Amino acid sequence: MTALKQFLLGLMLLGAVTYFGGGGTFASFSAQTSNNGSSIASGTLTMNDTVNSATSCLSAAGTSNDNVNSVNQAVNAAGCDKLLTLTNVAPGMAASTAKVTILNSGSIAASQFSVWGSSVNATLNTAVPVGTFSSISVVGLEGPVLSGQNLELNYGSNLPQTFKASSSVTPPASPTTPVTINVTAPLGGTATATAALPIGATMTDTSSNTDSTATATNNMDCYDVKTTGGTATATKGDSLNFNPILGNPFCGHALFFMQETGAFNYCWYGNGAPGNPSENVSGLCNVPIIGVTLGTALTIGTVSSSVTLQIPSQTLNGNISNGDTLVVTSGAHTQTFTATQSIVLGTTGVTGVTATSTTPFANFTFPIGSTVVDLTSASAMNADTTSTITGFDTLHNSTGRIPLAPMTANGAINAAAAVQLNGGASRTFILGLYFPTPPGINQNYLQGLVSTFGITWHLDQ
Amino acid sequence: MIGLDGFRRVRGCSGRTSSTWRAKKLLASVLAIGALSSVTVGGTFAVLNSQESNVGTTFVSGTLTLSNVVNTTGTACFSYGGPASPGNVNTACQALFLSTSQNYPGVPITAKVTLTDNGSIDASDLSVYMPSCTNATTPGAPAPGGGNPCATAGAQFYLQENDSSGNPLKCWYPSAVGACTFAANTLSVFALNFSTTANAVDLGAGPLHGQARNFVVGMQLPSNASNTLQGQMAQFGLTWHITS
Repeated sequence: MTALKQFLLGLMLLGAVTYFGGGGTFASFSAQTSNNGSSIASGTLTMNDTVNSATSCLSAAGTSNDNVNSVNQAVNAAGCDKLLTLTNVAPGMAASTAKVTILNSGSIAASQFSVWGSSVNATLNTAVPVGTFSSISVVGLEGPVLSGQNLELNYGSNLPQTFKASSSVTPPASPTTPVTINVTAPLGGTATATAALPIGATMTDTSSNTDSTATATNNMDCYDVKTTGGTATATKGDSLNFNPILGNPFCGHALFFMQETGAFNYCWYGNGAPGNPSENVSGLCNVPIIGVTLGTALTIGTVSSSVTLQIPSQTLNGNISNGDTLVVTSGAHTQTFTATQSIVLGTTGVTGVTATSTTPFANFTFPIGSTVVDLTSASAMNADTTSTITGFDTLHNSTGRIPLAPMTANGAINAAAAVQLNGGASRTFILGLYFPTPPGINQNYLQGLVSTFGITWHLDQ
Repeated sequence: MIGLDGFRRVRGCSGRTSSTWRAKKLLASVLAIGALSSVTVGGTFAVLNSQESNVGTTFVSGTLTLSNVVNTTGTACFSYGGPASPGNVNTACQALFLSTSQNYPGVPITAKVTLTDNGSIDASDLSVYMPSCTNATTPGAPAPGGGNPCATAGAQFYLQENDSSGNPLKCWYPSAVGACTFAANTLSVFALNFSTTANAVDLGAGPLHGQARNFVVGMQLPSNASNTLQGQMAQFGLTWHITS
């Protein structure tokens, strides 16, 4: 061994000793602290949905165990309330409304709060185990499924599983009646479940709400059927031969509106919404007042002044916007006014509306019971052919969601707001339907029909 | 994998002996990070969400249909019993009078018509009109007089509403309080003035859904009828119309 090798071997030994024994060898004093017990806790983002004063439904209570609750309440009590159940509606009747309060019941602020027309949907009625299968059984089917459409099934934390319908089905009379849909793999061939899909998993027809024009093959969530029940002894829709349901004509005719209320008002959808030809800058949707009459005789004979049209105390069933044209009628006598205040739909205890008239007053006393019509909103609504349920479903389907930015003033929102619904905060919306009565149009073809549809609310962190 | 492929492509071009080896290695790493970011972004930034649907909302239209019964014993004729187009129009309801029952001057004949709103919606208005009145020869008449019962000095006509017990409520035509009486020229005037929906006789609101209104239609040849009305007949119909 050369001297050099001996030297190098010595260095190696020294290094080894230093490496393995250095800690004990050279420590004379020592000090040490530990920060143990740290934890990180995730917040929650959940939603409560309350229709009027009914019991809230919870997103976390959905049967698909994925913080999505789209189950039909007729199928499972955990489902959310339907907005409205309106029967025996005639053209021109007062709009029917529901108040929906959406609460972020979690602890995390939602940066995105959105709403859209539900896709054709259902929930699994029979579990699908891992492996191949050829059909699914669903309940609560809302809307038709057409052969060739894409179906997405969701349960728990598993990734969505996509299949393709190979048979066409229509909703049964009762949502609790099971419906069988034949399926294949997305590109054809045998369908295979990569994760188990228990009963209650959600099925969404992701191809739906895209074609409202084809009469025989439209794929809308809102669908029409003929009435088979209702008023005892009265003629049912299925007795009539002039009310075909192809193309879902009632869905395409009934007007839908969604107006946020609270500190301010904003018309999110419907006649009067931004972009609508009859946009209402006050933030109110155009919704006609129906059945309003004078509660106090209006004796006039002077020229042009401000008056209060006294009406019996009531809850207003439409919006009156500042600037709307109001017409008081008694027999052949009419007098036109301009509203000088806004009164929001649903306001209780309304006893009058202030207005002015720029036209000479008629030399006539309008008696108690004279009708008061908001001509602006009535004319706008009765001429509207686009703000329909079908229009909502197609324009605002799952890819055309309405982002519900917070309101900053009547008719104004902050689209750039970083938070759209804080944890613990809620927002309230008035949603309604109106059966318009366009002048001179025979609407017999809309007799005895039932339109069924849904809407979906969504929060993102 | 995309990043690794990119790294190998870079190395394959010139290897570690290249003067730009370090720069290429760095760029390849950046490429790898970028590629990973692009393929994993969905999972990396997936956040919490929550969703609910209010499904099953229903909007149900009512029905407005009319049944028509002649002389209370007749078979009900329904408005929706007609063809699908225009729909809810039935022009084949029972005739009020038949030519087989021959009439004589001064002898009245009447027919009862019961109209029921058998839909689910109240009728806000009921109206009636006579689309036409046509003169024709009575079948089998041996010597028709050639006159026109639809014309002036022709047949007389009235329309009266009764309550369900048969008591007169109002004479709608010719307008009068209570029961109707025959008057000259009334068929011709009615046919002339009330021949379309636009100029129909307005019979007021109703019937409400599930309720009926009872009418009596009276006809008579004037007691001083001309012989020209012998063997002649007036052919006409009455159209009843309700709106919601």
